[in-house]
Parts: sequence; C-alpha cells; structure tokens
Amino acid sequence: MTTRSKTIIICGGGLAGSLATLSLSLSLGSEYHIVQVGGINARHEDHLYGGATDPGSYNFLLRLGLDEPTLMLRSATSFSFGTHFRQWLDGRSWMQCHHAPLPTPSGIPLRHYLTRENAGLEPLLISAQAALAGKFAHPPADPRSVLASAEYGYQFDADEWVALLDRKIGETSARRINAEIRSIIHESATRSVVNLDTGEPLEADLVVDASGLSRYPIEAAGGTFRTSRSIGFSLSKTPSDALGPPCRTIDADETGWKATTHLQNARHTLRVSEAGMASDEAAAHTAALGHLVEAWVGNCVAIGHAASVFEPLTPAPMMMLQRDIERLLELIPTHADPGIERREFNRRFRNDVEHVAIFHGALITIDSAPETEYWRAAREQTASGKLDRKLAQFSNRGLLTSFDLEPFNEEDWTIAHWGMGRRPHQHNRQVDGVSDTQSQSELGQIRNSVQQLVTKMPPHHLYVGKLKQYLEKQNYA
Amino acid sequence: MPETAPDTIKQIVIVGGGSAGWMTAAALSSMLPAHAVRISLVESEQIGTIGVGEATIPDIINFNAMLGIPEAEFLKATNGTFKLGIKFVNWGRLGEDYLHPFGPHGADMNGIDFHQFWLRHLEQNPSSTIEDFSLSAVAAKAGKFAMPDPNPRSVLSQLRYAYHFDATKYALFLRNYAEQRGVRRIEGKVTEVRQDPETGFIQQIELEDGSAIPGELFFDCTGFRGLLIDKALDVPFKDWSHWLPCDTAQAVACELSGDILPYTISTAKEAGWQWRIPTQHRTGNGHIYSSSLMSDDAAIDSLLKDLDGPAIGSPRKIRFRTGHRARLWEKNCVAIGLSGGFLEPLESTSLFLIQEGISKFIALYPSADLPASVRDEYNRQLVKKFEQVRDFIILHYKATERDDSPFWNHTRTMDVPDSLTQRIELFREAGRVFRYEDELFSKPSWVAVLLGQNIVPKSVDPIVGTVDRAGIARSLQSMTTAMTNAVTQMPTHRAFLEKYAWSGASA
Repeated sequence: MTTRSKTIIICGGGLAGSLATLSLSLSLGSEYHIVQVGGINARHEDHLYGGATDPGSYNFLLRLGLDEPTLMLRSATSFSFGTHFRQWLDGRSWMQCHHAPLPTPSGIPLRHYLTRENAGLEPLLISAQAALAGKFAHPPADPRSVLASAEYGYQFDADEWVALLDRKIGETSARRINAEIRSIIHESATRSVVNLDTGEPLEADLVVDASGLSRYPIEAAGGTFRTSRSIGFSLSKTPSDALGPPCRTIDADETGWKATTHLQNARHTLRVSEAGMASDEAAAHTAALGHLVEAWVGNCVAIGHAASVFEPLTPAPMMMLQRDIERLLELIPTHADPGIERREFNRRFRNDVEHVAIFHGALITIDSAPETEYWRAAREQTASGKLDRKLAQFSNRGLLTSFDLEPFNEEDWTIAHWGMGRRPHQHNRQVDGVSDTQSQSELGQIRNSVQQLVTKMPPHHLYVGKLKQYLEKQNYA
Repeated sequence: MPETAPDTIKQIVIVGGGSAGWMTAAALSSMLPAHAVRISLVESEQIGTIGVGEATIPDIINFNAMLGIPEAEFLKATNGTFKLGIKFVNWGRLGEDYLHPFGPHGADMNGIDFHQFWLRHLEQNPSSTIEDFSLSAVAAKAGKFAMPDPNPRSVLSQLRYAYHFDATKYALFLRNYAEQRGVRRIEGKVTEVRQDPETGFIQQIELEDGSAIPGELFFDCTGFRGLLIDKALDVPFKDWSHWLPCDTAQAVACELSGDILPYTISTAKEAGWQWRIPTQHRTGNGHIYSSSLMSDDAAIDSLLKDLDGPAIGSPRKIRFRTGHRARLWEKNCVAIGLSGGFLEPLESTSLFLIQEGISKFIALYPSADLPASVRDEYNRQLVKKFEQVRDFIILHYKATERDDSPFWNHTRTMDVPDSLTQRIELFREAGRVFRYEDELFSKPSWVAVLLGQNIVPKSVDPIVGTVDRAGIARSLQSMTTAMTNAVTQMPTHRAFLEKYAWSGASA
C-alpha cells in the first residue's frame, strides 16, 4: 500500500471554504498539504445557507472541534427544532420539525392510524409542540422519555461561524493565503496551477471550488451550471435581547417569502423574491438556482453554492454543503487517476441534488398557489417523475416511497405531507387488525404525554441562559 | 379526506404450496381478518416441492416475529439449527477459505468504518485477518452459539444469526399456522387458467376434478412452472445467465457426522459449487453447476464423493434459469418465489426474496381496483431487490483468481454490471464501500467477501492516515480479547440446541 504527498487547494473563504479547509486538515494525514485561498467569494452569499442546520450538523461540527459549548458561548447560535411554516401557501401552517422515527403501534406506521382516524399529526410531535410553545430542552438518552423523540439542529449567523472556523483552522497545519485568484489552469486530470494576484503560482493535485456563486475554478475545469430561474435575496439583522422560539419561521406572500431566524442577540430576516424586481428591497442580491451537471470535473470538485443553489426553505443548503464535504472526504483520490472517485462522487451528488429538489417541490406543489411571477416560476421547477411517484403512492395508501440515501427521511416526508394537507385516499389495510378504540386510545396517550411534557419544558431563552451559566461555571469559556 | 368505505379485496387465491405458497398464506392470514377476506391455497400432492435443506439470512427472524411464531417451537418443528455465516472454500483461490459472518466486524469509530482501521493495522501486521474481529465468525469457527445480548454495551450484542432448517417441514409448519387462521387449503391440480377476454385479468382457475376457484387476486407460487405469470400471462423473463451461468443442481441429504456446524459451507468446484447445510439430524447437500461445462453424471459423482456421511436417497435434479420476470406483479397476479425469479442460493437469499415479495405486497396492499400505480411501485421495488442480490452473488464469481477450468476462466473474465464494477474498483483503490439505502447486504458483508476473494485495497483511505497506529493496535487487541472471552463462555452449538429446541426426530 502506498500514499504520496499531495496538495489540495480550497478556493474560497466563506462558510464552504472554511468548513472544507478545517475538515480536510483534521481528517487527512501529513502527506496532504491543505491550502486555502480566500477572497473570491462574497460573504453575503453565505446568507443563502439559510442560517439553519438539521440534526446531522451536531456530529459534523463536533468532529471539527466545534462542540455545543463553543457554539453557545462564542457565538449567538441557538437551537432549532425545525422550521415553522407559519403562513404558507393556501393559508397552510405547520411545524416542519426534526423528529426521531415516529411510533409504530403494533408494528404499524403511525400515519396509517391517523388516516383511518382522520386525526392530526402535529399534536403527537414533541419537537413541533415544544417549538410552537417556544420551549426547549435537550433530548435525553433514555428512550422512554417522550422528549427522546425530539431532534434538533441550530440557528446560526454564518459570519460568526466562519470566524469560529477560521480560528480553528489557525490551529492546524493548513496554509491560508489571503489573495485573489487571477487564473486557474487545469493542466491535466491530476494537476492544476492556481495563479494568485500576488504573482505566486500554486500547484495542486486537487482543487476544491468553494467560491460560491462565482464558480470560477469549476468552470475553468469545464463544469456546467444548469439553471432556469433566479431569485433576489437580502438579509436584515435586528439586534434583540429576547431570544425567540427554537425554530425558524417562514411566511409566504405573493411575491416570495421571508424566513426569520432567532439568535441569542438578534433576529435575522432573509427575504427571498423574484430577481430583478427593482422596487423590491429583496433584489439587493441575486442568485441563479440550480446545480452543476457534474460537481467533480477533472481534478476540481465544487462544493456548497459553487455546486448547487437551493432556496433555503429548509436546512437543505447546509445539508448539501455538509454532504458535499463528507462525500469528498470519503473519496479523496489516492492514485493518479481519480476517475473511480469522480464517478462515485458525481453519482451521489446527482442523487442528492435531485432528492433535495423533490422535497422542496413537495412544499410548492399545490393547486392554489398565488398566480404571480414568483410562484409560477417556482412551480415550473417542480416537475419530477420521482416526486410524482411519491405523491401518487402517498395519496393511494399512505406509502412513503423512498429512493437511495435521500437527505430527507420518512419523518420529514410524513410531516411535510400532513403540513401540506395531503392525506391518503384510503387507510392501509395493515390497521384493520387493530380496533378503532385501541388506536384512538394509543393516539390519545401520545397526545397527552406530549402536551404534559411541553408544559413542563422551559422557554428557549431561559434554557439557553441557564445552559450558558452552567457552561461558564464549568470553565468551558 | 379518506374514503369511508373503500372497495376491498374479498377473495385471494394462492396457487401452489411449498415455502412460497405457505409463507404467503401465513403472512396474509396474520394481517387480514378471516371474516373480511377469503384466502384459498390450491396445491397438489402429486406435484413435489423443490424443498432442499434451506439456509437463511437474519431477516427470516423478522418474518417469523411478524407472524408471532415462538422461535424454539419453530426450530423443533423444522429440525432447525443456528447459522452464524457462510464458509466459502476454494472461491478466491484453490486451497483457501474465508467466512462471511453475519453482523459487524469490530466497531466503527468516529464515523469511520472499522475495516479502514483494520486495513491500516494490516499494513504492518500482514498476518491479521478481519474475521478475528467478528464475533459471529469467531463463534462459528469454535462451533459455539449463544443468543445476542440486547444491551449494546455487551460484546454479545454484535452477534447476528439466521437458521438452517428443513424447508418442507417449514412449509408444513406454516400451513398449520395459516389454516388455524382461516386459510382454506384445496387439494387439486390446475388444468386451466381462465382470463377475462378483454382485460386479460385472471378470473378463475379450474382443477382436474372440474371445480373452479374464482378470485380477485392470485398469487403464483407454482415454482419454476410459472403457471399463471408465465403460461397464462406470458410475462417476459429477464435472463441473467450470462452473468450466472449455473443452470442445474443435484440435491441430496446425508447422515450427519460429527458436530452440528453453526454455519453453511459453500465449496467452489470445477464448474460450480457445492452447499452443505446442517440441520439437527442430517445434512442437506447440493451441487450447482453449468450443464454446458459438466455432465449430470460428473456432477453427481462429485457431489456424492464429498458427502460427510452416507447419502439418504438418491440425488434429485433441479433445472433452473437465473433471472426474474420483467414484472413480478402483472394484472391481478403476483408471482412469489421461483415463479417470479431465481438467484442461486449462494448467499441463502431464496427465502429472503420470497419474504420481500410478501412484505412489499403487504406494505402496498391494494384496493380491489388494483391501481396500476401500486403494481408499478411493487415491481420497481422488487426488481431493485433482485438486482442488489444479483450483484453481490456475481461478485463471488468475478473476484476470483482461479484459472483451473473453463468455468472459472469465463466468470473471472466476463463483463459484469457497471454497478458492480464501480463497487469493486472503489474497494480496490482505497477500501471504500458504500451501501445503497435499503440494501440487503451490509458494508461488513461486502468487506468480508471482497477481502475473502483477495481484493486487497492498494492503499488505505487517507481519512485514517492521521490515526495513531499504536492506538489502533490497542483497540484491536482489546476487541479480540473481549470476543475470545465471550466465545469461551458460550456453549457449543449442539449443547445450546439440545437445551433450547431439540426436535427429538431422527433423520
């Protein structure tokens, strides 16, 4: 077995660039030289990550040395049980919460009982009810506790996280160069030269394009970005001492939507609307939604917004960025021809992109959406055979069709279907063996347990305050 | 809003008994109230079942649990034994063997697969074998068995097992189960399948005695004959024999000699392979081969020569075609078992594919109008399952260094599905294994077979490049110590069986 010394250059200084640099530095041995060249992406683009993560971010950040005490004490990060679609299309409102696998009374999925009993899902979800009540507590390890079913991610300020990551990178052997890239010459599938405005040429075995929407490195390698729609976006930050609920809040209107993120010291409002609307403040920045046909071309791998851009309706942009980095780490080329790794990376990238798109499509697919430019364009993007199959199967008997390694799991889909008002036409025959009385009693028990627990949970702001006091006492600071 | 009174299926007819027929009948009768759905099973005692000694994979435990079958009762009734994996002899090279155990190797650390740490360890410890870090493998080699411990902190929690049993007795056991739940068994030989002249849907089957059995939904469990799915509905067959050239088997039982092994043995032969499946009182044996490269007589000679004990009866010949029906659910007929498709039992997946056919049907249980979208989804899921199992089985033939016969020269050099090529290359480069979601075979299974067939990665994954070798060595040492201690405490497989589920029957 052999390994030889290699240089990986990460182009980009934002969230994607810093996450990738730290991940690669910590994961790869000393035979890899990691170089980050900052400066070619605009920080406002990081706002498109939406300021929210899913539960998978906990372990991902922990492996980078960003544990929860650090996030809570050194940034305004707060907890997130999910996204509250407070005012969505057709007047819909629900909590798209993060939740562990739903109960299966008598081995049968919960949704089949709900269909037969024509009952609501949300009152049975602890993370939904807690978020709506503005309450938070850490889920305990004991699976007997109702709260153990809750899962959470974070609400965050991208600029703060970049600063935390940059400090961590400083503790590694990664080299950081604050310079602009003048040109990139991809000489072969295994060698590139990155020319900086300082005049320094850098040779690379692998280039990671974390340049955001500019995509210069991947386009220089021959990458093609596929888009059919652009949006306008802007972020406003309002200082606030009162920490809001442990969830993002999303409100739609005829021209787009806005997301409010509740941090420890501020409220961030991201406004998304039609691109090029001169009268709209949201048109401060524009972004083309879409994705690269292949995210790894030659010896250049694009991650984050350089690879795909989704509206941050869900934590999908952060999930994609995390997946991009994890996929890359799993497939760091070890030999001269990275063709095997490239094929696998691109296969999984295509799947991820498609699966995020169909989940977002499921949140838009509704007959009564506003007939405005923004929503017409959004609906036109949702056509997908896989989404049609998912909607048809759910509508038939409540079946959740799944495809390979989808980022959104069965719980996400069940909650989204219920939130969007979809119900199976008929209940699944599996529940016929359980009497109405028994199933109503089981559902009632879950509902009561959730309700009782939520009343005992502390408000999000109190919980975070006490947690920080505790951590400070433990000298975490 | 859900409809209040959906049209439900009221009459289901299962054609054919055997494992497929009675597993289907048992599962449906456990789910559907007898007063609401009439389930009939038609079989003929004149038509034998394939019923060879059957080896399974751990999923069978879920199937039995779904039916609420007590394990010990089932083992007694079927002469069952426990199975911790499969020993492959002469597959990678002549004179070599390896175990494909159930359950994990070692423990993954920091989100990195265990085998990556082991590969780094291997660089400086070339005599290390990954089997030493599988509790199932260590116990299997020692002829020991114990129940897994539900406590995840116990090393015994890593144990996974399945069964060996007499498939004919299993079918009988399930027949009793199903009949107690209202399934009506009809003795008779099918002479006619009557279809609607316009839609082609099956209306009824007619028996030799002139009686007719009408139904809304039919299960074809008639084995290779495919009486409904093939003969009546003419659904095309997707042939995979270019990848899996064996087409014939000779099966015979023999008297048990020595210990009851807690694993299946698969020995590669000149033009195929031979199985050995120990049940409580005898051993099931079979020789699977390519008839274009070996005569029946030669195959029988080879089979009989390698038996552990005296043969019980004469070898029985079974001809088969590898592949599956293009659609396993066509109109109002669902093909379960051999009528739907066949993959040689190299990884003991025959009953699993039956089980999948049934469980996917139950998950998609249709209304009486049998929507095309439901059939379409069923077919998509089942075909995917067949393809996943296919790739894993082909791996055993492709990843060989044997060049001692035309058979192995063919399989070693043949083109294989792109999906498999990609998997082999990814592993060969840096030991990377990616599992597809909902895939039957886990990462440790792929690793066991890839390494067992001598595909050793050219380099370790760089992600373990920073991990301290001495630390890895200490972790591995503590794992082997824990496993060896646990296995020392276990009873022998025979002793466990005698106490837990001895049938008392003779061969």
